[in-house]
Amino acid sequence: MNRNSKKRPSMTSGGAQGRLAYFTGRALTNIRQNIFVNVVTVGTITLALLIVSLFMLLFVNLENAAENWSEKVQVTIYFDKELTPQEQTDIKNRITVLPATSKVNWVSRDEALKRFKGRLKGQETLLEGIRPEVLPTSFEISLKKANRSSEDIELYVGRLKGIPGIGEIQYGEEWVRRFNTFLTFMRIIGLLVGGFLVLAVVFIVSNTIQLTIYARRDELEIMSLVGATRMFIKIPFLIEGLLQGIAGGVIALLLLLSIHLLFLHNAGNFLTFNPATAGLSFLPSSYIAGLLLAGALLGFVGSLAALRRFINEIAD
Amino acid sequence: MIQFHNVSLAYQRDATALKDISLRIAKGEFVFLTGPSGAGKTTMLRLIYGALVPSRGQVLIDGQNVSRLTRSQLPFLRRTIGVVFQDFKLLQNRTVFENVAITLEVQGLGSRADIGKKVMHVLRQMGMENKVQLTPPRLSGGEQQRVALARALVNEPKILLADEPTGNLDDANKMQILNIFKEANIKGTTVVVATHDRRLIENAHYRPIRLHNGELADEGEAVDEQKQ
Repeated sequence: MNRNSKKRPSMTSGGAQGRLAYFTGRALTNIRQNIFVNVVTVGTITLALLIVSLFMLLFVNLENAAENWSEKVQVTIYFDKELTPQEQTDIKNRITVLPATSKVNWVSRDEALKRFKGRLKGQETLLEGIRPEVLPTSFEISLKKANRSSEDIELYVGRLKGIPGIGEIQYGEEWVRRFNTFLTFMRIIGLLVGGFLVLAVVFIVSNTIQLTIYARRDELEIMSLVGATRMFIKIPFLIEGLLQGIAGGVIALLLLLSIHLLFLHNAGNFLTFNPATAGLSFLPSSYIAGLLLAGALLGFVGSLAALRRFINEIAD
Repeated sequence: MIQFHNVSLAYQRDATALKDISLRIAKGEFVFLTGPSGAGKTTMLRLIYGALVPSRGQVLIDGQNVSRLTRSQLPFLRRTIGVVFQDFKLLQNRTVFENVAITLEVQGLGSRADIGKKVMHVLRQMGMENKVQLTPPRLSGGEQQRVALARALVNEPKILLADEPTGNLDDANKMQILNIFKEANIKGTTVVVATHDRRLIENAHYRPIRLHNGELADEGEAVDEQKQ
């Protein structure tokens, strides 16, 4: 008997803490005594979250790649003469104060020639006799992330034109427009697919929890018949649901991390032009926190809905 | 203690389950609810512990109208009533000890040691003290019956309801169970036993209330004694 009562969670004489300890103990004992049902629920939540998180991983990386590509949204100002250092700093300062400017880079004639040669690697002979003076000097301007839409760029270029001494301005209008359309399209698709995925997952998980609680409806009924209040019946189940959800979230994240480390982290070169960021990155920490929270919520709310239904059924 | 005033109950499509039943069971009384299967015995018990609500009429427990109780009040009524179900309704994956302790735990009564003491006491009365750690599937029918009885009695309820408690027991076991009912009754618990076991009724000499097709066929003699 002693061994038995040691294992059995019991209510201390009072206090919210004692009750919480009792209910948590009860929930843990329930998990042990209904191990199969719990494995099924945790497994379902794990799979569901894994599917969603794989999709999120894909989406996050597409966004990252898109961001890399959008770095290429650049405004270039060409000058057909070499600027004096005074002119250079003057114009550079006036560009820098524009709010949308992120980075301004001066490209001298020598630098321009060096790049040109770099591009024609292996065919340097073509450039023999070409002197730096043929090439224009330029300012290369990167824009802040929020100001890379076609409209913003046009507005920006308008402002640049107001700066005295400015040369010819070039930016890939057509390219920028197409790229932005593509981004919008991708986000809409992402939202749609993600939305359906989340709906499907919520549906599957809540049904699984309903079934597992339905399988234990005798327990609900008996508790009710011996005079347990609704809260008393529900709380251990809710704690159980919460633990199942958190467990599902943690396992799903670990699986995702393993998949990422084993297969994905160096398999995404095709997605990006920038070798420094080659490979798929893992989810940012806010997404990880979101995923764990989603797991806990799935378990908790799923149990709550199922309990409400079955407790009403047995009580009425 | 228990009063039925013109109680009728109709399940949705079926014929009426109970017809116009009026009845009083006094505090501390011991009654048998008899009649053939389907006469309405279980239905009457379920009305008493609030699992069913009458279509017409009132069921009063200690002057309280059961169907008027709110969801949050009902558990408190049930804590004063011990019920032994025909199918026992034990939690299959909990031990004998836990199955009995649950009655006290839901009420938040006492410390762990207190609960343990009470549970062991009642299990000893039932002769089950050596099986506290077993789960119901490993017990015989008679043993499960006694666990169910222990669960119903552990908090010394005002009312004890039992539905066919001797259904599948041999004679020795039947008498043992009957004695436990008697002891509880002597301590002041009002006992209502639904049974169609003639021998049990004849052996015990308590007031029989006979139901037939949902109607009260015979209220038993003890009613008159009570009224005097």
